[in-house]
Amino acid sequence: MRESRFVSLLLVAPALAILLVFFATPLGYSLVTAFVAKDGALTTANFVKAFEFYSTDIWFTVVIVGLSTVLIAVIAVAIGGYLVLGDSARAVAILKWLYRWPLFIPFIVAGQMMRSFLAKNGLMNNTFVSLGLLDPLQTTSFLDWQGLIITFVWKQTPFVALLVAGAMASLDPSTIEAARNLGAKRLRILIEIIVPQVRRTLVVGLILSFVAMMSVLSVPLMISGESPTMITVDMAFRINFYGDYGVANALGFTSYLITAAAAWFYLRQGVREGAEP
Amino acid sequence: MTVAALEIQDAVVSYGDAEPVLKGVSLSVASGEFIALLGASGCGKTTLLRAISGFVRLRAGAIRVSGVDVAGLPPDKRDMAMVFQSYALWPHMTTAQNIGYGLRLRRKSRNDIARRVGELLSMLGLEGLGERKVTQLSGGQRQRVALGRALAVNPRILLLDEPLSNLDARVRGQMRHEIKAIQQNLGITAIHVTHDREEAMVMADRIVILNEGYIVQQGTPEEIYNRPATPFVASFTGAHNVVALHLGIEDGLVRVAAGEHNAEALLRLGSEGAHLAEPKGGPASAHFHTEAARLVIGDDAPPNSLTLRGRITQSSYPGGVYRYAVDVGGRQFMVDDERRFSTGDEVGIWLPAEALHLYPATPEHMARLAGIDENRDRL
Repeated sequence: MRESRFVSLLLVAPALAILLVFFATPLGYSLVTAFVAKDGALTTANFVKAFEFYSTDIWFTVVIVGLSTVLIAVIAVAIGGYLVLGDSARAVAILKWLYRWPLFIPFIVAGQMMRSFLAKNGLMNNTFVSLGLLDPLQTTSFLDWQGLIITFVWKQTPFVALLVAGAMASLDPSTIEAARNLGAKRLRILIEIIVPQVRRTLVVGLILSFVAMMSVLSVPLMISGESPTMITVDMAFRINFYGDYGVANALGFTSYLITAAAAWFYLRQGVREGAEP
Repeated sequence: MTVAALEIQDAVVSYGDAEPVLKGVSLSVASGEFIALLGASGCGKTTLLRAISGFVRLRAGAIRVSGVDVAGLPPDKRDMAMVFQSYALWPHMTTAQNIGYGLRLRRKSRNDIARRVGELLSMLGLEGLGERKVTQLSGGQRQRVALGRALAVNPRILLLDEPLSNLDARVRGQMRHEIKAIQQNLGITAIHVTHDREEAMVMADRIVILNEGYIVQQGTPEEIYNRPATPFVASFTGAHNVVALHLGIEDGLVRVAAGEHNAEALLRLGSEGAHLAEPKGGPASAHFHTEAARLVIGDDAPPNSLTLRGRITQSSYPGGVYRYAVDVGGRQFMVDDERRFSTGDEVGIWLPAEALHLYPATPEHMARLAGIDENRDRL
């Protein structure tokens, strides 16, 4: 018995070692550094400075990522819902083929694309102008908070939609037919019958997206580098221009807390529903 | 003449360009009648139910509810409610929310919904379970909730899609009678799909047997059991023991010619005699139920019966009676008898005339019988 336990520990050891060396140690180190001054003393000065300089950006980040998450949820549910409930087999097939494309495009490429698409003289405005929908003088650049949200939603929706559509497709179709049989219309079936049954998958996808968006540097750099901007840009700035790892890590710790709050929100729900099979 | 509660006329259904699943089915259902659609899997019975409910479109034909054509209407406009094989309950809702959902869709007031749900819970023996999540209920309770959900909206027609097949045998037996009793009390018209002959016989007023997209016979359980119209129906209703005979028709009597394994016999026809599907002599196949056969020893053959000579190859005791496998010319028949015999005993399988269903042998049928014998020889 003892021997087999030893063997199983031995088998786990390499994976565990990699986790400790490459994930836990740097994380722990950066967390500790956030509370250490340049002279090595324990301090909260890094946090005071971080909040003094960047509290607007912290709020900006939370609002941008939060809003994006909400929009991603709505669009992903709409896509999944159409894939399950859509009448036109051809439209469903086209949507199924199309919606995943952004999944295969890296954040930085998405940022670059959106830069040329959303600029004042970008592809989108030029198209509107040539269609006569806009006057050239009316055009405005979307390369600000709006551009950030558009890029995040465009890039992350397919990921959540993929998870959600999979979960929806594996539902017992007769639960949908039963609702139709009693007279529920499609939107109602989606909101009252389908989404509650795939809620866990939806929330997992949204939290993973939330974390991904919190950690993206390339998109805010390319779309909207000026103030206000996102925490990641400020962290890069502190490190590249001042070598100020303390404040950068304090900012990192803050974004860690924000994602932890999202994860806690999810776990709390899991515990509440824990009694169910 | 009263208008049928449900009338299906020449219904054809096909999925895509494939061969139709329903090839022209006509059926008329009276108000308050309990109909069982019975057949093997793939026979079209579920497709017929789904066509009635509106989940599947007809390619041709009509479906009328109280004289009104509903074939073009969506499922919820047909005044029917369906109970699904998998229960199809919504796991995120409580029992009461599941049952009351149809009423909520109909914008009934909260009090009306609560009252109606309460009525149904007590009718279905689910008192006190209204606030339970349906995932915490047993299989039988879930099926009752599914029934309650369908009945809550007071549909004119109740559709049951193999509602008992996921339940264990004991609960299934009990639910058969409960559903039947509820249907009778409410006087609701019900269409029940099943592949279980006994279930159909116990529950239905009329059984409709489907095979390969056609209705092959419909009638009361007694008619189906005692007068199966075709060899298929005979086999499906349990008369799956088949023997090849040669018949001669004489006025009101059938003369079975002496064969390799049977002596000549003279059988009466009609209610106290054999069931002759077509008044035609010549080669025939005779079907009989295992329960109708008895074992005899020696040549004692009462009149108006047929005896097949064979040898016991296996015996078992399933309880109450012994069950013997009797080999007759290479074909095995299962026969129950109260007496104790030994393996190897020469016996006769005694079949009273009433037990025999006689069909003119079709070439395919004879080939199949011969094929079975050949296979047996090869083994």
